[in-house]
Amino acid sequence: MTLQPLMDGLVNGSIIGLGAIGVTLTYSILRFANFAHGELLSWGAYLALTVSAALGALLPGLGTPIGPFSFGWSVPIAMIASMFLTGLVALTVDWLLFGRLRNAGSAQIILVMSSFGAALALRNLLEFIYTSSPAYFTTALQISRPVLPGLRATPDQLLVLVLAVVMVVAVHLLLTRSAAGRSMRAVSENPALASLAGIDTRAVIRMVWMLGAALAAVGGIMSGVVVQIRPTMGLDLLLPLFAASILGGIGSVPGAMLAGLMVGLAEAFTVQIIGAEWRAAVSFVILVAMLLLRPQGIFGKAAA
Amino acid sequence: MIDLLSYGAFFLTMALTYAVICLGLNLQWGQTGLFNVGVAGFVAVGAYVSSILTTPAIDGRLGGFDLPIVIGWLGGGLGAGFLCFLLGALTLRLRSDYLAIATFGAAVVIQLALLNLEGITGGPFGIGFIPRPFGTLAEQPGLFAAANLAVLIVLVLVCYLALQHLTRSPWGRVLRALREDEEAAKALGKDPVTYRLQAFAIGGFVMGLGGAAQAHFIGFIAPDNYLPTLTFQVWTMLIVGGSGNMRGAILGAILVWAIWALSGSLVASVFPPDQQARAASLQIVLIGVALCLVLLLRPYGILGEAGTLRAPLRRALRRTPNSLSEGQKTNV
Amino acid sequence: MTPDILRLKTLHAGYQPDLPIINGIDLTVRQGEFVVLLGPNGAGKSTLVKAIAGLVPIHSGLVFLKEENITHLPAHMKLHSGMTFVPQTENIFTQMSIRENLQISAQILPKQLRAERIEAMFAMFPDLAKRPSTRAGALSGGQRQMLAVARALITDPKLLILDEPSAGLSPMLVDEVFARISMINQTGITILLVEQNVRVGLNVASRGVILVEGKVAHDAPSDELKGDPVVAELYLGGGSEETAQ
Repeated sequence: MTLQPLMDGLVNGSIIGLGAIGVTLTYSILRFANFAHGELLSWGAYLALTVSAALGALLPGLGTPIGPFSFGWSVPIAMIASMFLTGLVALTVDWLLFGRLRNAGSAQIILVMSSFGAALALRNLLEFIYTSSPAYFTTALQISRPVLPGLRATPDQLLVLVLAVVMVVAVHLLLTRSAAGRSMRAVSENPALASLAGIDTRAVIRMVWMLGAALAAVGGIMSGVVVQIRPTMGLDLLLPLFAASILGGIGSVPGAMLAGLMVGLAEAFTVQIIGAEWRAAVSFVILVAMLLLRPQGIFGKAAA
Repeated sequence: MIDLLSYGAFFLTMALTYAVICLGLNLQWGQTGLFNVGVAGFVAVGAYVSSILTTPAIDGRLGGFDLPIVIGWLGGGLGAGFLCFLLGALTLRLRSDYLAIATFGAAVVIQLALLNLEGITGGPFGIGFIPRPFGTLAEQPGLFAAANLAVLIVLVLVCYLALQHLTRSPWGRVLRALREDEEAAKALGKDPVTYRLQAFAIGGFVMGLGGAAQAHFIGFIAPDNYLPTLTFQVWTMLIVGGSGNMRGAILGAILVWAIWALSGSLVASVFPPDQQARAASLQIVLIGVALCLVLLLRPYGILGEAGTLRAPLRRALRRTPNSLSEGQKTNV
Repeated sequence: MTPDILRLKTLHAGYQPDLPIINGIDLTVRQGEFVVLLGPNGAGKSTLVKAIAGLVPIHSGLVFLKEENITHLPAHMKLHSGMTFVPQTENIFTQMSIRENLQISAQILPKQLRAERIEAMFAMFPDLAKRPSTRAGALSGGQRQMLAVARALITDPKLLILDEPSAGLSPMLVDEVFARISMINQTGITILLVEQNVRVGLNVASRGVILVEGKVAHDAPSDELKGDPVVAELYLGGGSEETAQ
């Protein structure tokens, strides 16, 4: 038994956590479980891949690896662009589908169902455009270096961890300290009262989509940097995302991140102890255990 | 001529196995409003349980109990129904979309189990030599196809009549009352969760039965038959037929299966082999878009407007258009 | 004659298009008035104020605030026009602190005014100023009503609409809440109040409007209504509790 699963679990858990923040935010403000959220991670990764490839073709200098990392400046620039573009994808889906259903007063479960259809269309559109073969940001191989005794990590993996911490702190501060965050919390608690108090709920919904999609894009790109990019990467992450957002307590940003790390670690140790073929079952086991023991999540309130 | 007829019988038999699955989903969604995202998993459970019970004994794999087909089918239905019961019991007292998440997760885990529990499921290669009804007639293809079709017609009829009887019984009336006015029904001492759980489990039984019948009709099964695409197919069948409408569910199954088979062979003949996978993904994009369009434009289904879902939809419409749904507290 | 502040013209409203609850209401409220909306259960009192606030769809008719047509203005924009509404229940954000509740509505004010208005509310409701970072959900029933009113007043509205602020409060607290509302009225803010208890409502307001089946049945100064034998017979007959049924 080595400490190595710790690193793999934390890296993968960071990716799950960033996705789960988006799930938990849209769930608490739009009030439905969005089965299409995983696709935003995939779209974020592919959009970044496209932008980065275009940048690399235009300015070959941007492809030169930065310091110890496997990728050049084209990837961070593409990440910023992709956060914005993925937000536009989410806003477009909301404008075409969810917004119309909301205005028609559709039941919550109709929204869940439509997100299921949207996920299907978004995922297969990626497969149609990019085919199902895996893609990579760079072909450069990275050697992992010892960080602690019995624990090795590549510079890319360490960067993922740092970036995840920065993103979570930023989102947490945004929600607790800024007027925009206050508006989001108000709509989350009571949308009717929020509009009486002068908050434009439609603007808040747009903000939540942009934020959730941007975080999903970062998660997808991280996954693409440390593993690979595939059209089904979002589908494979969907169950861990749901498990983490329920485990963290719906609506809680720090909860979603911590729970994401826990899911990631549980997966990594399962792979180590039981075998890689059962990895995908870990989230389901966590989900069932949570629903049995504490459905409001570990960080949720008992009355929720 | 005989060829065309037996292909027609083959096609219709396959479509009718979907009709059975669709009837099960209709009880869960159309009659009760429970969203099941793991249809493929429950169909797989039905198929595998029945196959293990009825195939001849084989080395290196559990089962091969060589039991009669009827026992296998019942076992398959019970297996799927029991699984639905467990998932329902876990989630039905919580938020309505937790059931969706849990069934989605169950399907993922069932797929893993089919692949990895080689001692029970045969792993990636699945199970073969599943006995077919009237297997002794296999020498005469025409008669064999007709007999299989007859078995499926009887099965669909039995399911249809039984479910119709159920929905018109006092039990079905309570289910309807719960949908139209949950508070009033609660005041009469009806626990909504108990009734919904029963409906979900019975729907799962029918779905498992359909999966079992399908397995015995094809003769071999493998994990690849039970990917999420199957769930989407069945959902499209139900939505096209009109949720809540049992005849619509059967018609939708036949119609969508026809469209699927035709467009599949169209893809195979029009696109070069290396582009077929891409064309197939475009086919699924269109299904996803169609599902969303139906929800947006014809929430009662294309064919039938039996309207059992109308009441909850109308109740939902009664809410203020500008405000989101209320009633749940969250903490950010 | 003081100018009009709120004018309703043959208003029809309700949750569903085919099921109107408000059936053609004409009503004018003048600046500085204190008007109470009365009527039996299901008369449409609550629906009417929610329709004015933008929470219930208006089918036909017009709503004017001063000279501005606000009939189809979204709920959050009505605050900018100088009208504010306090719902009967769930009228504060329980997960947020007292200060945050006030900050939410202060957001629509110019930046330099925000802190000043929050302090003004704390001066007006000293109970709330004691521990401004307390979670609002931890407040008592009376304090919650005070916070809801403070949140509504922070934008310095011309018209304050309250839906049964007395509901669920003990008689002593009811007196205190109504005394506050009278004080607010005396600072020049027009009040439109929904009240279940006819006697209490007529005592606190200067004018009473009685709704029956979505229409205005009586509209007169409070003293006149109290003296009206028909009103007394129908609404003030027995005890103060059952009469409104």
